[in-house]
Amino acid sequence: MSKYYAFKSLEGLLEVFLDKVVQLKAERLQILEGVNRLDDIARLSGEGGDVTDEIGEWFAAHNQWLNEDVLKVGDAGRIDRILTEIKNGLTVSSGDSAASRKIESEINRWSELAGAGDGRLTLRREPEQKIDTEIDSMVMFDNALEGARDLYHDLQGGKQHVLSVLDDALRRAVLQKNKQALILSAFMIYYLKHNGYLMEPFIKRLKEAERIQKEDLTIA
Amino acid sequence: MLNQSEKAYCQALLALKNKDYQAATEFFDRAAPYFKENKEFNLLRETNRLLIAVKEKLATADHEEIELEETIPYGQETELR
Repeated sequence: MSKYYAFKSLEGLLEVFLDKVVQLKAERLQILEGVNRLDDIARLSGEGGDVTDEIGEWFAAHNQWLNEDVLKVGDAGRIDRILTEIKNGLTVSSGDSAASRKIESEINRWSELAGAGDGRLTLRREPEQKIDTEIDSMVMFDNALEGARDLYHDLQGGKQHVLSVLDDALRRAVLQKNKQALILSAFMIYYLKHNGYLMEPFIKRLKEAERIQKEDLTIA
Repeated sequence: MLNQSEKAYCQALLALKNKDYQAATEFFDRAAPYFKENKEFNLLRETNRLLIAVKEKLATADHEEIELEETIPYGQETELR
């Protein structure tokens, strides 16, 4: 195969890879695009622009989100915050017109239906489920403790000091974005701190690991 | 308001969707300060960079081939290849 065809083949391979990634994220991307557009409208509104038409078009294009239940709790919270910013700027930019009143009532409807995360979940829960959830939370915590102990034993291997285990736990929290390793690291740091160890460098690494895992959640 | 880097990452993905790889590079660069530790971000950014480099190489190769074809009338095709 000539050099030219080798490059041509690599080009096709890379394009297919990127295309597949985008396809996998298609639904998520659609949501992010909508939130992004709404954010642009909020910025325009913040600069004093009249966004009545833009926001009207946005509602028309994205109304189906409320029926299809495609929004994550975090998305709903973001949209709610952005809509509140727009609502606050509406009266200033377009006065108390019929259009702005209509938009305001639509924003209120969205805020009610999309909710800001926690409220939405609480409203849907029946009284008897509350008891189950409490039991579940205790079982879940018990499982988490057990999981952390198992992870600790895995990491322990032939290590001579607990700090080496902590070092490995933090590494796993960063590289594998392992939440259990993050929790175990925090627990170990707290324990060691109470036993007189200087933990500042580990605390920094813990915060970094936490930031990386949060970042992943934002994009996922 | 959304973080500018998050917006840029989203725009980079949209650019990839539209196969506008050059625009994607610019958006990836803008998003980089916030996402430089994110493995998926880095993988996509580097793949896109590599793709652009390959495309540039191919563009040059296309040009070279045209030059080669012009010499065929002189009967030197075998030598040149």
